[in-house]
Amino acid sequence: MEKSPSLPEPSSSNTVRKEPLCDFPEEVREAFRRLRETGDPAAADTVVLAIVAEHMPRKGVPISDQSALVADLGFDSFAITEMIFFVEELFEVSISNAEILGVSSVADLREFVRAKLASREPRPE
Amino acid sequence: MKRRAAITGIGFITSIGNDRKEVSLSLRELRSGIVPVQFLGNPNLPVKVAGTVKGFEVESPRWRDWRFPERYAGLARETLRSLAPHGLYALCAAEQAIEDAGITRADLVDGATGLYCASAGSAFLLHHHLAHMHAVRGERGNPMGVVASIAGTVNFNLAAHFGIRGAVGGFAAACASSSHALGFALDEIRLGRQERMLVVGAEEVNAETVLPFAGMRALSVNPDARSASRPFDHGRDGFVAAGGAVCLVLESREAADRRGAKVYAEVIGWGQAADGHNVAISHPEGAGLAQAMRRALADAGLGPSAVDYVSAHATSTPAGDRSEAIALGAVFSAAGARPRVSSTKGITGHPLSLSGVMEAAFCALCLDEGFIPGNANLRVQDPACEGLDLPRESLAARPTVALNNSSGFGGSNVCHVLHAGRT
Repeated sequence: MEKSPSLPEPSSSNTVRKEPLCDFPEEVREAFRRLRETGDPAAADTVVLAIVAEHMPRKGVPISDQSALVADLGFDSFAITEMIFFVEELFEVSISNAEILGVSSVADLREFVRAKLASREPRPE
Repeated sequence: MKRRAAITGIGFITSIGNDRKEVSLSLRELRSGIVPVQFLGNPNLPVKVAGTVKGFEVESPRWRDWRFPERYAGLARETLRSLAPHGLYALCAAEQAIEDAGITRADLVDGATGLYCASAGSAFLLHHHLAHMHAVRGERGNPMGVVASIAGTVNFNLAAHFGIRGAVGGFAAACASSSHALGFALDEIRLGRQERMLVVGAEEVNAETVLPFAGMRALSVNPDARSASRPFDHGRDGFVAAGGAVCLVLESREAADRRGAKVYAEVIGWGQAADGHNVAISHPEGAGLAQAMRRALADAGLGPSAVDYVSAHATSTPAGDRSEAIALGAVFSAAGARPRVSSTKGITGHPLSLSGVMEAAFCALCLDEGFIPGNANLRVQDPACEGLDLPRESLAARPTVALNNSSGFGGSNVCHVLHAGRT
């Protein structure tokens, strides 16, 4: 029987977890694999920068450590929550409202993720 | 004197076409949008057909996985991230309608433009987000989950995307919902509160939206896509679900004339009346629907004999079609009137809360272009239809007045009156 392309396939995406960062460039996926295998903080930085670049509303703006999420990159609070959720899902961590309030720049986010991963027990396989 | 309201823009994402030209051709030639499907990969399910939306691949809960026509490729991630699949249909239909009407982005944000929408929300996305919530024991959740999933998602997203600053709201009366949206939009213009209204209906066609109706035994189990939806036919056995979105731009006639806009039709009246009978079953004599039609005609200042065409709600369920046939007889046959009557759901399937505004848009095309759609798959007429004029094929005719019926759960019935608006 012909199947419509607009209907869910048998293994519904509701229950299938896609490969992390499947929409990101290979070098970012490679950094994530390195992070999981070695815990290399520099690899975490690469992933975080890619996440910021993917989520930032103001496209085409250069990103630096000093970039302010709101003033420079165009994030509003809703866009920040979207990015934070992505970070939570990727690293399987929970981030509190108070913690989000402490993140206002790319450097803040980078340092926050490093600290969150370092404090997590057990570390990701 | 009441202000007049004209339809000046139409956008279609439907099972029978994704633009006005394609939809018009499908209605004239009774080309069906109903195709074989297999829900949940389960060949044992008795429901085997649906009115699918072609050209959109939205089976994933992740917007990044979606594929849709190149025409809409410019949609920003900030727009896509909070849409459900039917929200994407709605946005595409609205983009079409706005372009068709020739109104500008500046017109949309002037506070004189409002937005009324209808959808049941996305059971599909809601399920996805709630399943995730349970999987992580409530420890985190997608911040887009609420605005992308719940009833109201279409008005939330379209209002933000277009910067609407007038009246914005949503209607939830199941299959009568977008008819309420159009009726109350007409009132906004008549009362002088708004110059123009975007009216949108949208629904998904996936297991989460469709299969619960199988539990109600409301869906056709006829596996033949060519004949499963057969409104008013003696052999009908239930409705065929469909999805999509339609947007109408409804504008005060004065504003439309001032800018020299094309007018497809005017909406000159509407009425509603509930059955007060059953949560899911129509009144057996169609009492509420008959009253809705009488109220709509009274609002328009017309009698039954002025009506040339009735776009019936008839979804191909045994009880619902019979009830509507009796209501039509009570309003028209009893008054010696015999308008042409058809249900386009024989080719579209039944898109639930989308159906009212979709079929109002079909009426506008009929009035503008000069045709009346036939009743696809009507072979042996239900005896309850005796006295009704139910054309089998589409007719080249030029109706001046059309009625558009809708009925929903809880016995909600809504009727619109449309006029060719040529004078």
